[in-house]
Amino acid sequence: MSEAPPTEESDVSSPFEITSDIEETRGEKLRKQYDTYVHTPVSIIWSDWRARIGASILLIYLLMALLGPVMLDPVRTGAGGRFVQPFQTWEFPLGTDGVGRDLFAMTVHSTRPMLIMMFSGAITTIAIGTGAGAVAGYRGGWVDNVVSTITDIFINIPGYPLIMTLSLLLPITGNPVLIGILISIMAWGGLSRKMRSQVLTLRNESFVEASRSIGQPSRLIIFKDILPHLMPYAMINLASTARRIIFTAAGLYFLGILPYGDPNWGVMLNRSYQAGAFYRPEAMHWFLIPCIAIIGIGVSLVLLSQSLDRVFNPRVRARHEKRTESSSPMEEL
Amino acid sequence: MTTTQRNAFFDDSGSSDSIMQLRDITVSFDMDSGESRVVDHANLDLQRNEILGIVGESGSGKSMLASSMMDAIEDPGRLRGSVTYNPQSGEPAEVLEMSGSELKEFRWDTVSMVFQGAMSSFNPTLSIRRHFVETLDAHDYNVSEGMAYAEDLLSDLYLDPDRVLDSYPHELSGGMSQRALIALSMILDPEVLIMDEPTAALDLLMQRSIISLINDLKEKYDLTIALITHDLPLIAELVDRVAVMYAFDLIEVGPVEDVLTGSIHPYTRMLLKATPDVDSPVEDMRPIEGDMPDPLNVPDGCAFHPRCPMADEQCVEVDPRAYEANTEHAAKCHYWDEVDKQIPMSQETSSMDTFAESSVSAEHRTWTEHDDPVIELDDVKVHFEKEESGFRLFSSPPTVKAVDGVSLDIYERDVTVMLGESGCGKTTLGKAAVGLQRPTGGSINYYGDSESGDPVDIWQVRDSDSEDGIKWGEIRKSLQIIHQDPGSALNPHRRVSTLLEDPLKRWQPDMDGHDRRARVLGLIEHCGMTPPESYIDRYPHQLSGGEQQRMAIIRAMLMNPEVILADEPVSALDVSLRVEMMDLMIQLQEEFDTSYFYVSHDMANARYITEKTGGRIGILYLGKLVEVGPPEQIVHNPRHPYTKALRWATPKLQAEDTEIQGDTPLRSIDIPDPEDPPSGCPFHTRCPAAREVCKEEMPGSYAGSEDSGHEVSCFRAVEDHEYWDSEPLGEDGDLPDVFIQN
Repeated sequence: MSEAPPTEESDVSSPFEITSDIEETRGEKLRKQYDTYVHTPVSIIWSDWRARIGASILLIYLLMALLGPVMLDPVRTGAGGRFVQPFQTWEFPLGTDGVGRDLFAMTVHSTRPMLIMMFSGAITTIAIGTGAGAVAGYRGGWVDNVVSTITDIFINIPGYPLIMTLSLLLPITGNPVLIGILISIMAWGGLSRKMRSQVLTLRNESFVEASRSIGQPSRLIIFKDILPHLMPYAMINLASTARRIIFTAAGLYFLGILPYGDPNWGVMLNRSYQAGAFYRPEAMHWFLIPCIAIIGIGVSLVLLSQSLDRVFNPRVRARHEKRTESSSPMEEL
Repeated sequence: MTTTQRNAFFDDSGSSDSIMQLRDITVSFDMDSGESRVVDHANLDLQRNEILGIVGESGSGKSMLASSMMDAIEDPGRLRGSVTYNPQSGEPAEVLEMSGSELKEFRWDTVSMVFQGAMSSFNPTLSIRRHFVETLDAHDYNVSEGMAYAEDLLSDLYLDPDRVLDSYPHELSGGMSQRALIALSMILDPEVLIMDEPTAALDLLMQRSIISLINDLKEKYDLTIALITHDLPLIAELVDRVAVMYAFDLIEVGPVEDVLTGSIHPYTRMLLKATPDVDSPVEDMRPIEGDMPDPLNVPDGCAFHPRCPMADEQCVEVDPRAYEANTEHAAKCHYWDEVDKQIPMSQETSSMDTFAESSVSAEHRTWTEHDDPVIELDDVKVHFEKEESGFRLFSSPPTVKAVDGVSLDIYERDVTVMLGESGCGKTTLGKAAVGLQRPTGGSINYYGDSESGDPVDIWQVRDSDSEDGIKWGEIRKSLQIIHQDPGSALNPHRRVSTLLEDPLKRWQPDMDGHDRRARVLGLIEHCGMTPPESYIDRYPHQLSGGEQQRMAIIRAMLMNPEVILADEPVSALDVSLRVEMMDLMIQLQEEFDTSYFYVSHDMANARYITEKTGGRIGILYLGKLVEVGPPEQIVHNPRHPYTKALRWATPKLQAEDTEIQGDTPLRSIDIPDPEDPPSGCPFHTRCPAAREVCKEEMPGSYAGSEDSGHEVSCFRAVEDHEYWDSEPLGEDGDLPDVFIQN
C-alpha cells in the first residue's frame, strides 16, 4: 500500500484505509430488499394495464389451485344428473358431464396439477436453456462446440414422439412436476441457441472487459454481468414457454398419451370429444369449459409477459424504486 | 414584429442580404413533466455566401436548430417560428408554411444537409451509385447528367469516382464516406449547405483536410454554409462568423477573430479556456463548473448564471437581450463590457479566485530519466489473421499487423501517451501492455516491486500458473483499464455500489460489507461527488457522463494498480469537462502512485497531460513507434514528418492569420491498407520528404535532440546517411512550409 499524505475529509492516512463507523441496521437492510425484490416489480407490473389484467387472471388461477382442492369435494361420478346445463343451479354452477360429474369441481381440481406442470416445465426450460447458452457463448472454444452439439441434437429430435416414448418408458405415473420437466426437453434447445447468440455480442462489451481486468473468474462474470442482460429475454420466453407447455400437455392428454390421476382439462376435452360434444348441443358445454380454462391462462400469460421484461430494465426500475430518488427529469426520456 | 430591429443576431430592417432568416424558432417536446424546449426563441440570419459556424456543447440544441432550417423536426417535436428563404431573384418563401411538394423541392435542391456520422447515414444495402441515382430520380433530374456532375464532385473531393461509386458504404473508410456524403448533399446544386459536425468521428489529419476542402467547395460552387460543431478551434480558420449556443439559445454572434480573441460573453471565454490547446500555456486552462441545464428546467433570467463568476441579481432575474459591441458583434450578457477584465484570456491580470481553480499545481515538470521501469514492452507484435473461407494453397492468409514491433518502457508514476490516428494500433498496444490482449510476438515484462529483481513475462506467468515468484493474480491486479465510453464500461444493470465493491470483494475478501461500503463512499467523495450516499445506490444511467467516467476511474484505482491503461478517457465527454477529468486523473496519480498509459488521438489533450506530469508522448503509425519524447520536443520540435503533419493538423486557437494554412503537407490523404503495409518505412507512401532508400529500409531509432528521452525513427535525423543522397519519391519542389518552420 502506498503512503499518501493525510487528506482533509477523513482522519485516516489514505482513502484506502477507511473503515466503517456506521452499521447498517437489519431493519434498513430488510427494507431495501423488500423494495428491490417485492415492491418494485409489483409496481412496474401494475403500471401497465395489460399486465394488470394478466396478473389478475393468473391470480385467480392460483387461488383456484391453492384453495380448490381444500374447499371442494372430490369429483365423483353420478353426483348429479347427466348434462346438467351450466349456470342453472348453484350446486353445479358449470353443469355436469356425461356421467354426472361436476364440471366446476373438475376444472378447479385440475388447476393445481396443470399449474405445477406449467411452472416446473417453464422454469426447467429457462434454466437449462439460459445456462447452456450462456456458458457456450461466453467460453467459446471446445466448451462451445460440445454444448452446441448437444443443443443441436435436442433441437433436431422430434419433440412429440420423444415425449410420448419417454412417458411410456420412464416411471412418471402422472406426477405433474415430472411431466413438466419431460415436456421441457423439447423446448430448451431453441432457447439455448438464442441465448448463445445474445451472449456472443455481450462478450465484447467494455464492462465485461473491465470485469476481466479486475480478475473475476468466468462463472462470476457470466452470473453477475451477462445474466442480467439476458433476463428480459428470458422473462418473455418464460411466458411463451409456459403457454406452450400447457398447450402441449393438454394436447397430449387429449390424445390419451400421458398418464393421469383425476381427469384434467386435456382429459375432459378428450372425453367430451369422444362423447360427441361437437354435434350434441347439450354436451357442448362439457367441451367448451376446459377450452376456456386453457385459453384463459394462455391469455393471462401473454398479457403478463408484456411487462415482465420491463421488470429487469434498470431505467424502469429506477423510476419505480423508492430507494433512489430520481432527481433528473431527463431520465424519463 | 412591426419594429425594425437590428443587431448582430438578426436584421429586420430590410437592408441586409441574408439568404435565410430564422425568427423566434422554438422546438419543443411535450413530456409528462412539462414542456421541454430544446431550442428557445432563437433568432439568426445567414448571410449570403458566408460560412457561419454554430458552436455549442453537446445538448445545447444546435442540431435541432439546423434541422429546423429544413423543417425537418420529427414528431413528437414541434417547431414554431418562421424560417424565411430569400432567393437571389424572386419572392422570399416561408419554409414552415410550404406544402408537401414545395418542401420536397426545397429540401436538397435549395437547402441541403450533411449529417454527422457518415457511416450510419448511408443505406448499407445499397451501393453509393444507387444513393446518387435515387436522389436524382426523386427530384426528377436527368440521371446521366447528374452522374457526370457527381463524378466531378467526387474528384474535387479527392476521391476516385469509379471506385467510390461502385463500393458499398462499409467498404469505405470514415474519411472517404464522409466525403462521399458531402458529394451526395451537393448533387442537386443547392444554395445553402448545412453541415452537422462533418468531421466529428474522423482523425486529425482527415479533419484538417476536409476543412480545407470545404473552403474550396464554397468558392467553386458558390455556396452558403452553416457549419455546426462543438470544436471551436477546428473551424477558426474556416468560418467567417461564429454563433455560440448555450442552453438552447444563441448567446453570442460575431466575426470569428473577434469572438476568439475578444469575446464579450463569459461562457464563450470560459469555453475557450477550458479547451486544451496546443499553443496556450497549460496554466491558463480552467474547467467550467456545473452542468448544462436540463431542457425542462432552464434557469430564469440568464441561463448561464448558475455557472457564471460574474453573475449578480440582475442576471438571476432578467433575461439579457442582445447587447452590441459593434454592428457585427453582439452577446446576450448584461455585463458584456466587463467580461474582458473579469475573465482574461491569459493569466496576467487575474481576478480568477471565484473561478474553478485547477486543483493540481500547474508547474511544469520535465521528463527525467527514471531508473526502473514497471512494465517493459519488448518488441511487441500483435498480428491478426483475417478469417477466410475457401482454400489458400500457396500464400499465407492476409494478416493485419496491428502492432508491429514496439519496444517501450513504462516507469513508475509516469504518464506515457500513445498518439496516433485510428487504425494505428494504439488501443491494441495498450491492451497488450495491460494483459488484456495476447501478443503474437515479443513479450511484456513485469517488474513489480523493485525487490523481486528480474522481470517476468506476464503471459508466461498466466500460462504456467506456478506458485513461486510473482503470481498471475498480483499481475492482474496491477494492470487496469479505463475505457473510452463510460456508458458501456459500467454494466447498466448493476448499481454503483455493486460495481465498485466488485474489486474489493475479489481481492480483499476479509473486508466485511460495512467496511467495503465505507471505503467506496470515501473514494466517491474524494473524487468530488458529494454527498456520496446519494450516488452509491444509483444505476449508471442516472449519472452524467463525467460522473460515470469518475466511477470507472475509482473502480480501477480501488486495486491500487501499477499501470492503468486510459483508452481515450476524455474523448466521450464534453469539451468543458475534459480538463477537469484530466486534472482528476493527475491528482489521483499523485496520491496513489500509479502510471498511466494514455491512448489518444488528440495532440492538445496529450500535451496537456504530459506537460503537467512530466510525461512523454509516443507517436504510432501503422503499428510502429515513429517518435517518442517529452511534450516540449514533440510539440515544438517534431523531427518525424508524420509528427509534423499531426502538428499541422491540430487546430490552434490563436491563428495569427485566419487563412487556411496551406494544403495538406502529405502526398495522399488516405492511410494505406493495413493488410498490405508499405515496405521499409511505413510512412513513405505519404511522406513529402520520402526518398528511395525509405522504400527499402526501415529506419532504426535515432536520437531526436539533446533531450535523452527524445527518439525518432527517421533517416532525416541522422547527419550522414545515404538518405541524403537518395532520389526523392515525391514531386520535385520544395517541401511544404510546415516542414521548414516549427
